[in-house]
Amino acid sequence: MACIGFFMLGCSDDLELSDPNNIGSEIALSTDKNIKTTLIGAYDALSAPAFFGGNTQRNSELLAANAEITFTGTFNDPADIYRKSMITANADATAMWLSAYSTINICNNVLSALERVNAEDRAQVEGEALFLRGLSLFELTLFFAKPYSAGSVTTNLGVPIMSVEDRNSTGNKARATVAETYAAIVSDLTRAESLLGADRKNGKATKASAAAVLSRVYLQTANYTGARDAADRVISSGNYSLTSSVAAAFNGTHSVEDVFDIPVSSVDGLNTFVTFYSATVNGGRGDIEIQAPHFLQYEPGDARRSFYYTDPATGDTRTSKWVNRFSSVKVIRLAELYLTRAECNIRLNTSVGAAPLADLNRIRSRANLSPLAVATIAAALQERRIELAHEGARIHDIKRLGLTIVEGTNSYPFNSNRLVFPIPQREIDINKGLIQNEGY
Amino acid sequence: MLYPMRYFINKKAKGNLGLLKLKPMYKFFLLIFFISSLALQAQDRTISGKVVSAEDGTALPGVNVLVKGTSIGTVTDASGFYKIALPSAAEVLTFSFIGLLSQEVTIGDRSKIDITMSADVKQLSEVVVVGYGTQLKQDLTGNISKVSGDAIQNIPVTTFEQAIQGRAAGVLITAQNGKLGQGLNIRIRGSSSISASNEPLYVIDGIVVTNDNLSSNAASTNALADINFNDIQSIEILKDASAAAIYGSRASNGVVLITTKRGKAGKSNFTANLQFGSSKPTRKREFLNAQQYIELMREAAINNDVRAGLDPVNNPADYAGSDLEFLEGSFLDLFQGDTDWRNLETNTNWENEAYQKASLTSFDFSASGGSEKTTFFFSGGYLDQDGILIGNSFKRLSGRLNLDHKATDRLSFGISTVLSNTINNRLSADNAFSTPLQLVAQAPITPVRDKNGKLFDNVFNPAMSYYPATVERENSNFVTTVYRNINNLSATYKVSNAIKVIGEYGLDLLIQNDDRYQNEFTETGASIGGFGQSRWVQVVNQTGRVSLAFDKNFSQHSISITTGAEIQNKSISSTDARAQGFPLPELKKLISAGEPTTTLSTLTEESFQSVFARANYKFNDRYLVSISGRSDGSSKFGPNNRFGFFPAASAGWILSQENFLKSSKAISFFKLRTSYGFTGNAGINNYSYLAQYSGVVYGGEPGLAPSQIPNPDLQWEKTAQFDVGIDFGFFNDRVTGEIDYYNKQTTDLLLNTPVPGTSGLATQFKNVGDLENKGVELVLNYAVVKRSDLSVTLGGNIARNENKVLKLDGAQSQIGPVGTRFLNALIVGQPIGSFFGREFAGANPANGDALFYFNRQPTQAELDAGTAFVVPNGVYGDRYVTRNFNSAQAIVLANPTPKYIYGFNTNITYRGLELSVLFQGVYGNKIFDGAGSFLSANGRFEDNSTVDQLARWQKPGDITSVPQARFYTNNGAQSSSRFLYDGSYLRLKTITLAYNVPASVLSKLSLTSLRVYTTAQNLLTFTDYKGWDPEVNTDFNATNVNLGNDFYAAPQPKNITVGVKVGF
Repeated sequence: MACIGFFMLGCSDDLELSDPNNIGSEIALSTDKNIKTTLIGAYDALSAPAFFGGNTQRNSELLAANAEITFTGTFNDPADIYRKSMITANADATAMWLSAYSTINICNNVLSALERVNAEDRAQVEGEALFLRGLSLFELTLFFAKPYSAGSVTTNLGVPIMSVEDRNSTGNKARATVAETYAAIVSDLTRAESLLGADRKNGKATKASAAAVLSRVYLQTANYTGARDAADRVISSGNYSLTSSVAAAFNGTHSVEDVFDIPVSSVDGLNTFVTFYSATVNGGRGDIEIQAPHFLQYEPGDARRSFYYTDPATGDTRTSKWVNRFSSVKVIRLAELYLTRAECNIRLNTSVGAAPLADLNRIRSRANLSPLAVATIAAALQERRIELAHEGARIHDIKRLGLTIVEGTNSYPFNSNRLVFPIPQREIDINKGLIQNEGY
Repeated sequence: MLYPMRYFINKKAKGNLGLLKLKPMYKFFLLIFFISSLALQAQDRTISGKVVSAEDGTALPGVNVLVKGTSIGTVTDASGFYKIALPSAAEVLTFSFIGLLSQEVTIGDRSKIDITMSADVKQLSEVVVVGYGTQLKQDLTGNISKVSGDAIQNIPVTTFEQAIQGRAAGVLITAQNGKLGQGLNIRIRGSSSISASNEPLYVIDGIVVTNDNLSSNAASTNALADINFNDIQSIEILKDASAAAIYGSRASNGVVLITTKRGKAGKSNFTANLQFGSSKPTRKREFLNAQQYIELMREAAINNDVRAGLDPVNNPADYAGSDLEFLEGSFLDLFQGDTDWRNLETNTNWENEAYQKASLTSFDFSASGGSEKTTFFFSGGYLDQDGILIGNSFKRLSGRLNLDHKATDRLSFGISTVLSNTINNRLSADNAFSTPLQLVAQAPITPVRDKNGKLFDNVFNPAMSYYPATVERENSNFVTTVYRNINNLSATYKVSNAIKVIGEYGLDLLIQNDDRYQNEFTETGASIGGFGQSRWVQVVNQTGRVSLAFDKNFSQHSISITTGAEIQNKSISSTDARAQGFPLPELKKLISAGEPTTTLSTLTEESFQSVFARANYKFNDRYLVSISGRSDGSSKFGPNNRFGFFPAASAGWILSQENFLKSSKAISFFKLRTSYGFTGNAGINNYSYLAQYSGVVYGGEPGLAPSQIPNPDLQWEKTAQFDVGIDFGFFNDRVTGEIDYYNKQTTDLLLNTPVPGTSGLATQFKNVGDLENKGVELVLNYAVVKRSDLSVTLGGNIARNENKVLKLDGAQSQIGPVGTRFLNALIVGQPIGSFFGREFAGANPANGDALFYFNRQPTQAELDAGTAFVVPNGVYGDRYVTRNFNSAQAIVLANPTPKYIYGFNTNITYRGLELSVLFQGVYGNKIFDGAGSFLSANGRFEDNSTVDQLARWQKPGDITSVPQARFYTNNGAQSSSRFLYDGSYLRLKTITLAYNVPASVLSKLSLTSLRVYTTAQNLLTFTDYKGWDPEVNTDFNATNVNLGNDFYAAPQPKNITVGVKVGF
């Protein structure tokens, strides 16, 4: 009541309330510690369920279903991805776009404040930010642009490239070409690799993480030398090793084999691989069933063939790779780098790091398979298909290799418009400079 | 001649003067009159009696008793008694009192006539509560709807908004679903905002009360359900700018003023009311039985096989690997549980499993009375109501004390305090498998329990695809407990007869606990050893105010001025803890949990500082002018635009006071009024203007991420409203009514505008966009019969509102639909939330494909490829259709908001019998059933279907709107106009039949009143809507834009109760 008396005189300071739950942007980027904390925010954005928390990799598998898996869930948006009949408002495509650009924007904010980072940590902070930005841009390109293998890379459209100067900008940014987008990705990851340290830290990028992603980028552009050498740098760093069995590589926290993975615990994070792939008894939705045609891919005796289980509730077959809700999300495992190095060495007829046969047999022997006598491209690709099954890799291999997906009477060649996500309708509505993908 | 009563009131009863203060004055006049008449007339005999109030049986002092056709009369004394000497020719006595229905009674040869008088809420001379004061209705220049507390007494609902549905013109009240204690959507004269709040401001006894949604899940709760509405004296709804502008920046959506009962000097009166009843769903839906389900599902699988060139029925070799095998093996064999689907052993009606036997008990006690110096009103109330859905209930225990004391002739104090405790057994939101009505998705071939009595589910005793609410019910609890304390202290000092100074302090304290436990057998708790949550929320809402009232009448002028300053602070703090891994299902508190998963606390604060003023001027009882304004400063906005000013002006002309109408017999009252003014809307989250980074966690490490794009220029949303209206009374006010036209233009919309995702965020709060609401309201009341033994009244109101989005951000012409499930969008030139999507045509008679109207000119390539074609024989006219959903052009399909809303009622009293009936309805809106793609999707999934799906296409030539059944194939199940239904309805909202025991019997029982009654709520509903209930807005998706959607939303309960009310 007393205040009312003073009111006319103005006690309007009471109207200047600050938010106890959040802080202003000027504080977030003000000190070394705060900038590093903001960098954690970029990792968090990358780990969103809609992005590397698992949905992006799941969407990759749904696109590549090839009658090997069925999606029986009731969510319309993944069902439409599975059926290759997405509408432009597809919620998964929209959420992925937003999460990816959110990650990129946080990275750009961090990169804009590097001069306030302690000198001794500056390279690592910049490297991690560039890694996250490059990885995000690469993943966007894989889904929202025609594959590099489709050619016309200087005219086909990639995605908007947001630079440090573009941070927080609500202006309209147009799409770069596929070639320009890949150049930006290679530039980010190359510089990231040069800046990052080798020390492994739970869920953080290392020099090897950047090289590993770079090897994927080069594979997409059929730069086999680049892919081979990047993969070799990861393997030869000696910081990573294969787990004793495939099973040991999954359903736990960060393992010796993880080159980059996203930590999940009961407190924080969500592994949506488990949400969709796993039976309800494990806390999943049981939306994805593994079908008989998939098992035709395995040789008899392959340990990976028995890494499946029958859902006690529905009787369906599900993969055992994703049964622990609190397992880290595996983004890149060392096994992939052996297979990439082997494939490239075969293609280039080289033996950088190791003979391709040795690399392939290393993967095979872990799966209790007898060694091969000859290393062929077909054998390397088949090994890759099985080793990386249900991890989100397949559609990108189909696209780069020019393969076709066949589902019943429908078939989708590698460059089909229907294997490319629509630019989200909300972006088209706001940003008149964006051009929608063909077929939408 | 006796002066008409209204004359005194007009002259003397300005502003805050209530009825009570009038009594001595006109008693005095009547006394003089009585004495003078005595001297003039010879008297033959006397008649006497007592006049009591129909409301509570209390004696009515000061009632005017007149021998009809003469000037002979008297008034009742303090105990309600009168005695009058009659001239020989006297035949009829008239009883009248301001605010009560007048009565004429034939005397006959009686010498004693007792009369019960009831309130005449329709009279134009009634007192209406306005912002920071009161006014006579006839002097109003603004538009205010009043609902008297009597009208909503003992209506068997949980919250007063449900009770006033259909009673106020232009007020659209929509329950989200039939779950108890949940939020409602209230729209006064349409939606005036897109991203800010559209809910009105609620003021109880002068204090702005907390009305935040404090729910711990996606379904909102209702903080107003803490109010025992039997305490309410009246509800005034301020609708136009003139009435509302004094609430300034928060008045754009209208203001609801609630006034609670206060004591009167005199004998203490006690009432007690006991009521029992039961509830049922207003409607059940028909689903396939076991035989029909198997038929449709098998047909759906076989159709797939035939399309793939297989014939698994006639060719056993084709069975292995067929969809039929997939269906029978993976689904039907599973769903049968421990019974056999092949011989139809089980036929479960799962919808019935979602409902429970629901009872209602309420008990109310009140006491009021007092001395000349001190008056009181005390009440206690208890309500225990079961929801119609399993596990849902609402309990409220509340007490109120309103106390007024005159310390000196100049100084008086008042206090209103209410304590309440509500306990709400809540349910999951409508989109969760665990919400009861999603049980309808289960197969009718599945038994509820196995032969050992154990519930079937999808994990531990598997016979289902979807987690069932039956298991949730037995293995979880979700209780929201609220403790509420609303206090208002006031001191009034009368500086002079004309000037009063009032100081007030209000405290609204709300403490809420959400206690949730889902043991290891529930969906949530299954893989983590049980899940528990304990959340505490505290809302402290304080208001301080000093105001000054000036009332002065001199010669033909009367002036009334109210001005004041107010500050309001509100803080909401919460603590939320969640944990998993419980050792035993019986140990439900977090202390037993193995692993805490979430612990967080939050705080959000807001403050308002305001000055307000209003001046009313009346000249010669016929010319009325009012100006008002409020200046608000708010913490919600940045320094650039922190203060806002909201003025309004209005004028009225009482034509019936003019000589040319004064003599009219037909027209007893006629007033023209008009108003124009500005109100604001600040209903956005706190701190919305700041640039913000929020805390996040990655791998156990704390991080920061941008969460909000700043806008230092953010400011109030402004609504300019014009209103013109007529108030009229015909035939001595037997017919009264109001007609209003309004035009509300909202500019600088607080719009959560989509920004390019490349910015890193999705939206930014900006003041962009315009919106308008235009409409007409009509209120009509007719006292058909007005006799002492019989009275019949009819009343009705109807309102039409046209809402239109005029502008969005810049060149943007459309926002949404967001996602693929629901169709609401913001489209320039269309009403808010219009359904935008593809237009469904029906099945292709040739092959059963779902067809959509193309709705655009196809290209030659599309025609050549057969993407667009015309179905032969004019089945779909000459319009182009397509089987390709994406190729069809999406169009504006319908409006989710009714064009017309209306209510009409009748009250009939015959001696002690009383019948009151209220109908309520809406017209001209559509409802989108978002669950249609599961439950009416021609056998797409294993979900059970509504029976209308049996009309599916089966063979070439079939003409039907239900496409061919194809298992796990989307044949027309996309969200389209297929699931859009007419949402108009007419509902028998409330019907009450009561018997009031006559006074002669009561006196023997030493009671002042005794009433036995039965009340039914939602007894009948007339609608073409195909879902459960047309009054729906599914709880998890109820926003300003997402309107008119159904998604397994429970129907409203139909409540039937009996009660007895005793006064003593």
